[in-house]
Amino acid sequence: MAKHDASRREFLVRAAVGAGAAAGAGLVPDAIAQNHEQMEGGAATPGAQHPSGSEHGAFFNHADAAMIAAFTERIMPSAPGKPGARDADVLNYIDLALAGAYAELQDFYRRGLASLDAYCRATYKESFVHLTPERQDEVLTALEEGKATGFTYPTSREFFNILRTHTMEGMFADPLYGGNKDFSGWRLVGFPGAQAVFTPTDLQNKQAFTREPMVGLQTIAKGPAGRG
Amino acid sequence: MATEKTDVVIVGMGAVGGILAAELGKAGMKVVGLERGPRLTTADFNPHDELRYFQRQELRPNWKRQPVTWRPNASATAHPMTILNYGNQAGGGTVHYGTLSWRMHEDDFRARSHTIERYGASVIPEDSSLADWPLSYADLEPFYDQAEYELGVSGKAGNLQGKKIDGGNIFEAPRKRDYPLPPLLDDQSGVLFAEGARKLGYHPFSSPRAIISQPYHDRASCTYCGFCQSFGCHVGAKSSILVTKLPEADATGNFKLLTGTMCYHVKTDNSGRATGVSYYGPDGSDNTIEAEIVILSPFIYDNTRLLLLSKTDKFPNGLANSSGQLGKHVMAHIMAKVFVAYDDRFVNIYMGPSAQKHTLDDFNADNFDHKGVGFIRGAQISVSPADLEAGPIGTAMSLDPPPGTPKWGAAYRDFLAKYFTRYAALNAQTENLAYADQTIDLDPNLRDQYCMPAPRVTYDWRRPNERARVEFLMQKMEGIGHAMGATKVWRGALSPGVPGAHHEGGTRMGSDPKTSVVNRYGQTWDIPNLFVIGSSTFPSMSGFNPTLTIQALAYMSADAIAKRYKNKPGPLV
Repeated sequence: MAKHDASRREFLVRAAVGAGAAAGAGLVPDAIAQNHEQMEGGAATPGAQHPSGSEHGAFFNHADAAMIAAFTERIMPSAPGKPGARDADVLNYIDLALAGAYAELQDFYRRGLASLDAYCRATYKESFVHLTPERQDEVLTALEEGKATGFTYPTSREFFNILRTHTMEGMFADPLYGGNKDFSGWRLVGFPGAQAVFTPTDLQNKQAFTREPMVGLQTIAKGPAGRG
Repeated sequence: MATEKTDVVIVGMGAVGGILAAELGKAGMKVVGLERGPRLTTADFNPHDELRYFQRQELRPNWKRQPVTWRPNASATAHPMTILNYGNQAGGGTVHYGTLSWRMHEDDFRARSHTIERYGASVIPEDSSLADWPLSYADLEPFYDQAEYELGVSGKAGNLQGKKIDGGNIFEAPRKRDYPLPPLLDDQSGVLFAEGARKLGYHPFSSPRAIISQPYHDRASCTYCGFCQSFGCHVGAKSSILVTKLPEADATGNFKLLTGTMCYHVKTDNSGRATGVSYYGPDGSDNTIEAEIVILSPFIYDNTRLLLLSKTDKFPNGLANSSGQLGKHVMAHIMAKVFVAYDDRFVNIYMGPSAQKHTLDDFNADNFDHKGVGFIRGAQISVSPADLEAGPIGTAMSLDPPPGTPKWGAAYRDFLAKYFTRYAALNAQTENLAYADQTIDLDPNLRDQYCMPAPRVTYDWRRPNERARVEFLMQKMEGIGHAMGATKVWRGALSPGVPGAHHEGGTRMGSDPKTSVVNRYGQTWDIPNLFVIGSSTFPSMSGFNPTLTIQALAYMSADAIAKRYKNKPGPLV
């Protein structure tokens, strides 16, 4: 599988982080945008990350990318020292998967995203990406519990469950697949990757396993595998 | 379109097919094996990739192209099951299984008689079709032994010719000799499990597994990498059919393997004899093999489906179905789970062979007094990762967070970050009873990639006897969790009725042609040159993983065919 090049990934990250801005600066109350920033501990400045508009994802358009990025970030939020969906580039993983292995789910995603948008506009008079994180969590809860209205195929619960599953895949699948950027997902939980051997001493260890390197399909990463 | 002739055609080259191919080939019979998947090699399994093999199930049938549907009862709508827990390549499920290799208990072979003798007939649920096997443990013991030694199983005897041995499974049936290989090394979850269980007076032991703990038959030993369940072994230490029997079959010079082939029909003639099979080639071609003996050994669904689809005027209800029992008495294990987690230490459960690492057999079979407990038969209790493999994707999918912790958001992230390396799962693998209304038939609404009707399973484990057993075991596992010194102990969610692992039944064996489909050799009562061998013939399932018993039955059938049937074709019983 070809990995996305850096510029494309950068576009998707920008689309994600600058979710508010992506839809047009004039539509986003500054207070909400700033609040978003603080909540996520992010360093991004929305105005500086407005996408040029000349690039496209493997599957998602700009608006879809922004919604997926915001949604998956609520499932696995990023925080200092705790990589989440944004840090792991879960959006990139899902975008690539839908253009390849999960192509049969393209319609599932298109319809699910349209229903999500319609539900948010009907309920909050706003698109999902413009809601505060607390409101976004309300939406996720409504989907998870099957209480969000307007979904047919997929049902809101199906849509939530697939998004959760794909977020976890993007967090923890080998970086070859476009997520788990720099092994951030594995570092989060202390997984050392596909080690070929564990020794008898390893098996007796009651502490965190920290031997380097982490082992991936193509890359060998430097840095501690385990966490306290 | 090709037609060829052979002595024996075997459909499905997994746990059964590989053994029969090698053994019948050695006996001088020409064997053709049909396998719908590819033939992979050990080199294909390096490096390990959790997304590809666990999450996307590359070594299992694709549930969209080869669907099997499930419904909880006959009035519900059936939908495809999204996990098909069996193989889709030469070597079958043994390529990616967890390798648990059990001999069933003596009373497992006579569960009905034993239950009546000890507790009276009234304790058997009225609607259950619990039945004895048409053979005893003693009949199968030499073939269990052969399987353990030829394939390579690591473990410690707990009952050597009647002498109980501490550290092995003291509840096991007597064995003539010890395992060929010593037990695999303990990991920390096994150590904790064993310590906790002993405090409560139970008898834990390292589970017997078909992974070689020392070099054996020119194969390298286990590296404890942890990628077993769902994965092929990257050093060939897993004693899969791929690295054991298929090379033996090749060496006979009498074996031909046809990969990418899908058998869709068993041919019979007007005399009621099987004459061969029809299959689709990888290029879509329609081909025929004429054979003196037809052996069906795919996973259970395709046995019932093929026999139903091959009906003729002479066999209007499907082949080998004069009893009307074809497709009935389906069983499956479910895994009831209790999770344990530690604040004061790490467990690192991703190390070492991943599935059901340590076991206690105290609550399996009739190893404990069932008086007053409200159910019959038991379960194997073991310690494992949440989904029998220990990578972070599987853990995120199957490690239910404790009550009060959500499944997403910052609190979930922090839960997973802290406990991924500090948790273990206790599993109760339950001996669910057979019921005649748990069935396999043909789904009228869905066809697979070959345009064949999908097999449809009607099954719901949530019956009074089974629910009472699960509740009993959940409480036992909570007790073990606390005895293990865990900081947190909580129950996992139960499945919504869907069959779990190790589906069995559909072509039940018995001693009476009126109430069973095959005899003890897997020979169909109705068509003596048509055999069905595998877990679809199990009359009852025990709380143990079925593979070693399947393999022992394959050796027994091969022995009977080579020594008796070959010289004098006809009924073996």
